[in-house]
Amino acid sequence: MFGFLLGEALRDLRRAGRVAVSAIMLITLSLAALGAFWLLSSNLGQAVAQFRERVKIVVYLKREPPAAEANALAERVRRMPGVASVRYVGKAEALGTLRQVLGKDASVADSLPQNPLPASLEITPTDEGSTLEGARALVTRLATLPESDEIGGGVDWIERFAHGQRLLWVFGLGVGAVLALAAILTVTTATTLVLHARRDEMEIMRLVGAPEHVVRMPLLLQGMMQGLMGAVLAVWVLIVCYALLGPRLEPLVSEVLGVARLAFLPPLTIVALMLAGTLLGGIGGLLARGRPEA
Amino acid sequence: MIELHRVGKVYAVGPVKVPALSDVSFRISKGEFVTLTGPSGSGKTTLLRLLYREDVPTEGEVEVLGDEVSLLTRSQVAALRRSIGIVFQDAKLLPGRTVYENVAFVLRVLGTPRREVTGRVFDALRAVGLSSRAQAYPAQLSQGEAQRAALARAIARKPLLLIADEPTGNLDEGMAGEVLDILKDIWAGGTTVLFATHQAFLAAALHRRTLTLQSGRLVKDEG
Repeated sequence: MFGFLLGEALRDLRRAGRVAVSAIMLITLSLAALGAFWLLSSNLGQAVAQFRERVKIVVYLKREPPAAEANALAERVRRMPGVASVRYVGKAEALGTLRQVLGKDASVADSLPQNPLPASLEITPTDEGSTLEGARALVTRLATLPESDEIGGGVDWIERFAHGQRLLWVFGLGVGAVLALAAILTVTTATTLVLHARRDEMEIMRLVGAPEHVVRMPLLLQGMMQGLMGAVLAVWVLIVCYALLGPRLEPLVSEVLGVARLAFLPPLTIVALMLAGTLLGGIGGLLARGRPEA
Repeated sequence: MIELHRVGKVYAVGPVKVPALSDVSFRISKGEFVTLTGPSGSGKTTLLRLLYREDVPTEGEVEVLGDEVSLLTRSQVAALRRSIGIVFQDAKLLPGRTVYENVAFVLRVLGTPRREVTGRVFDALRAVGLSSRAQAYPAQLSQGEAQRAALARAIARKPLLLIADEPTGNLDEGMAGEVLDILKDIWAGGTTVLFATHQAFLAAALHRRTLTLQSGRLVKDEG
């Protein structure tokens, strides 16, 4: 029976012709847009996660403490909430690092009358300490240390980045929703046209006593088929775009975001897109069901 | 099998009430062949529509196959119709399907297993003498052939009751005679037949029980 109803639905789809093609194209467009924003957003999210891992907060000290005092200070800081690890950097080590950074110009450092660099504590925050609120609270706590002269580093710029990522996601969702609505309306129109073309069949089906779900099922199925075809096309478009543009964008992405390569959508997301397409088409088919001319 | 008790039907056309049937009562037993006759507009089609619950009476009771049809739910109406074969004056064949597909279509929508469909379609087409035209489309059929195809579609389901609403209305005498012969064969097979026609000579030629409607009233029940 299901095979027969599926056959009827395919027959309906052929009948709907160009309107069905338009509906499929709109579903493709809406899901491809949604998928593209999803892809960008997830890559940005990955970059944000990497940035968070590299976050360091530096506490510059008023004076260089003796070794035992430095160890005690580091231990005190390590026990603070939001701190994952602490490393003490003495004045000499800081100057050594500067020399490495300067490379062939390292002699500039040697010409200094005395070492101007302060001793410091390099703090790696925990995951909670890496969030905007967590980092702010940690900086406030560190500022209360009597040994502290100045606090450097922070996560404001990462949070701005994460905010941008969320905005991109919401914008993508908005564009996807508008296109999805248009797709539903087009599927509804296509199904309504099919209803007109199918009126004779439906009349015969009712006259011979076919159950109502059998009468309606082909309409629902043809809507779902339009949705599924649109989703398959959308995934195909995304794969092609990823294959063509990915390698060209990777150097830029690596430079700006520090992400080695652009990741494609995970299989679960692809399945979700397929289901979303089928659902969109099904909703279109269902909406057409309720119309009076049905 | 069929029982009508003081049935009336009034159509409301805006503020105007148009009576189509009044005070119609009769009974048809299982296995009967009954002709329903009367001039055009006498209420034959309205009466038949009440039997397969395409419409409901405004007064009285209509009982078909043991069910009071006005009280049936949508799914019960569907179940009732599965026991009734219906043929119309305009045949109502699906234009985009062959004769075979038209007959097979109703079997498939009623859930007949695919392996049984072909045999039952050809049995029905043989019964109406149309097996050689199985692959023809409705547009390629004569009116007589189209009516025979519609009859095949109705009997393929082996209904208990066959309602034929003016199946000979568009046919010449020769073709009408062929259709009547088929109806008699179906009746001989045990199906109760209710045949509506405005052609009085056909009713007379059948020599069966005849119900005559006039202006919505049953004026004669003879034979």
